[in-house]
Amino acid sequence: MRRNIFETIFFSEILKGLSITLGYMFTKPVTYKYPYEATPIQDRFRGVQYIKTNEDGSTKCVGCYLCQKVCPSECIHIETDCGPKGERLIRKYELDLSRCIYCGYCEEVCPVDAIHMGCEWNTVDNTRDNYVINMKTLSQNYKDNVAGNWKNKHLKKKLVEGVQQ
Amino acid sequence: MLTVKINGKEVEVPQGTTILDAAKEAGVHIPVLCHDSRLNPFGACRVCLVEQVGMPKLQAACTTPVTDKMELITESEKLSRVRKTAIELLLINHPLDCPVCDKGGECTLQDLTYEVGVTKVRFDAVPNDTPVDHTNPFIERDIDRCVLCGRCVRICDEVVNIQAISFLNRGTDTQIGTSFDQPWNCEYCGQCISVCPVGSLNNRVYLFKNRPWNLESEKTVCGLCSCGCTVSIDYEGNEVFRMNEMPEEGVNHGYMCAKGRFGFDFMNSVKRETEAQITVGGEAKKASVTEAVEYASEKLKAMNTDSVAIVVSPRITNEEAFLAKKLADAIGTKNIFSTETDAIMPGATYEDVENSDAVAVLNINVTESNPILGLAVRVAARKEGSSLITFYPSETALKRVTTKFVTGNPVELAADMEKFCAAFAGAENEFTADAKRLLDAENPVVVFDAYNMADAYIAQEIQKACSKVKLVPAKAKNNSAGVVDMGFGVNAPEDFAKGVETGKFKAVISFGENIAVRTGWSKLTGALSKLELLMVTDPFMSDTAKLANVYVPVATFAEKSGSFTNLEGRVQLVSKAVDKGVVSDAEIISGLAKGLGTELPTDAYAVRKLIEKEVKLYADVQWDGGTVAYPSVFKTELAKVATTAAGSGKFYLYPASLRLHSGSYTRWSPDLAKVYGAPVLDVSVEDAKEMGLNKDDKVKLKGDGFTGEFVVEINKQVTKGCISLPEDFVETADIFSNGRYLKAEIIK
Repeated sequence: MRRNIFETIFFSEILKGLSITLGYMFTKPVTYKYPYEATPIQDRFRGVQYIKTNEDGSTKCVGCYLCQKVCPSECIHIETDCGPKGERLIRKYELDLSRCIYCGYCEEVCPVDAIHMGCEWNTVDNTRDNYVINMKTLSQNYKDNVAGNWKNKHLKKKLVEGVQQ
Repeated sequence: MLTVKINGKEVEVPQGTTILDAAKEAGVHIPVLCHDSRLNPFGACRVCLVEQVGMPKLQAACTTPVTDKMELITESEKLSRVRKTAIELLLINHPLDCPVCDKGGECTLQDLTYEVGVTKVRFDAVPNDTPVDHTNPFIERDIDRCVLCGRCVRICDEVVNIQAISFLNRGTDTQIGTSFDQPWNCEYCGQCISVCPVGSLNNRVYLFKNRPWNLESEKTVCGLCSCGCTVSIDYEGNEVFRMNEMPEEGVNHGYMCAKGRFGFDFMNSVKRETEAQITVGGEAKKASVTEAVEYASEKLKAMNTDSVAIVVSPRITNEEAFLAKKLADAIGTKNIFSTETDAIMPGATYEDVENSDAVAVLNINVTESNPILGLAVRVAARKEGSSLITFYPSETALKRVTTKFVTGNPVELAADMEKFCAAFAGAENEFTADAKRLLDAENPVVVFDAYNMADAYIAQEIQKACSKVKLVPAKAKNNSAGVVDMGFGVNAPEDFAKGVETGKFKAVISFGENIAVRTGWSKLTGALSKLELLMVTDPFMSDTAKLANVYVPVATFAEKSGSFTNLEGRVQLVSKAVDKGVVSDAEIISGLAKGLGTELPTDAYAVRKLIEKEVKLYADVQWDGGTVAYPSVFKTELAKVATTAAGSGKFYLYPASLRLHSGSYTRWSPDLAKVYGAPVLDVSVEDAKEMGLNKDDKVKLKGDGFTGEFVVEINKQVTKGCISLPEDFVETADIFSNGRYLKAEIIK
């Protein structure tokens, strides 16, 4: 095979090969320096659930047991009862995050648009008991999600600040 | 026989069969909404429409009888379109609140919506928004969800015969309700709930507690009265959520009463004891079951065999009663007692009553004391050409169907019944025609109170005069017949009283019996508390258990296996549904026996085998629904008992049966207690007017040897000059221990 003298002299092949690398050298990086930098949360991300509340602060959940039924990891436990005025009352709504596999079936099945998968993903804790969250936490999660202040965001901010100092 | 071709499949059915039944025969499924096989055909929903070859119009399968060589198509393009539209039209006004509706998951409309495949709303939905009705203590009513199938109206009329509800208005304004929106004049049987295909009528005891798909079911027999209804206990974990009917199954055909449907909650009661208790020197201390049983058996060992008495409750199973008998044998005592008597045995089945063409009900409010037997009597009385004669001091629910209703004060009534009895022998009096109806009937039936010897004597005389008469002694408790068969009930309660009072008995072991609230026994409480050993087993800390030295909490009928013998002498199996962490009576009996050096089995099956060997009546009984062949209703010929009202006073006081309470279990049910918690004195309208009494007034009742304070209820069914009180309450047991009928004075 005959070699092109120009190619030999000007390393054109090497330059051709490096062109992609060189091109990326001058573009914005696609990776994030976790944990020093926050990763973006996509629209369809499935994090820790939240339950929507009505304007008066009461929960939107009606306690229909559908999420409990559909949950493949059986992490939701509900207890309902009849209230004094004959209304439906949710005595207990517990979600065990250590069991949850974040499949999002609960969000899918909810007939009243109450439970949603949130943005929070940092659930690390010291005790197992703290993994079980109740209606109060789930409603608070809703507020946090609306305001956009989920826990890991704070964490990253702190870390970033620490590194900068 | 007619030959019908359904979807190309030929079946032969008798004349008069509907298309629906013929299709069932052929194994073809036709969707239905308003149809119930226990009710008359109605044809309201048009979901069961089928095509008949050669007919331009569609036919409703549930109402159309088949004709010979009929050719039917149940699945076609046209039919699915028609059915879908029928459902869509129902859904226009139906609120979409399935997530919060108690019926969700077992709703016929939901199932049909899936079946016909409604996915889109074609019509403008106009769901109503009427407030939910909570006026009935047991039934929640949401008329928005109603699809007007009329099942509740029909069952209340055709089966229960109370006619509490009906269709109101016409056209699109039609709704279910009472005239002029009055509160329900209702028996609280809940039959309407059981047939409602949607969530329009709901059980308030179960309301919002759980969803049907979470519940597991166990088929068993209700243990709240002697009717022996087949029920399913629906539970999750170890909590009972409802006691539900098994549609069309059992002797009760899937019907139930208020006690069964709404009174099951006592099983989950937080008032139930979990630990045994030993009282020494007036000081109660908690102990384990083993400790309590060992303590009792140590004491028993030291005692003279003849000074030990065993009392069993008719609520325990046949197996447990048999073991208790074995325990008595191991101790060596013949002092075995129960509140039942072996003088009267079951005589006829529900089927006999239902097929009867002439029924006489002697001095018993059967719809209250034994509601399912009451339904059977109603079935018989409502048949074309049949007759019913009822004797009772006050008017009862049977008044609507009865041919002749005889009321009067208890003494007058006894005289009337005697005349009725004499009419069978040929005497000419006002009952001659009624007696003749029974004499001429093919299957005459007499229902009477098994605990009233005066009535039993009359029943016996009637049977003597007319041998084809079948007798139904209405017993009270779930195993009233069974404990007698196992050997209890031979000794009279008087012997027990004598033994306790004279100090002959030093130890009494009571398996489940609440002696303190039993008529005829309640006055023994003072003597009982002085006994050297009083051992009581009961699920609750009952009035008797409070007196006990040794108390052991035990299982209710939902927590153990065994069998009950009901008022027709039918033996039915009870199966364990939940475990509340307490032992059964069988285990305690075998523990006691072990302490005395005898080994007894606790497994229900093993005990049953022993019973087959040792109890002659049960030698080849079929345990799952077979009837015991009793030689006769009466063990020996009964002597005539005069009915008198003891004491002096203006009013005749008699014991009333209650629909909501039958003994000690139901009194622990919070929902039943809400409606009927304390005994109420029923006074007639005339007497109340005369004395100036108002509803809920507190009055003093005074008679010979008793006084009491009760709340007045003015009851228009009560006869003038009569008053009634329920039996078996702590306050009233003492009163009726003086006699069944008493004279009393009301002091304002």
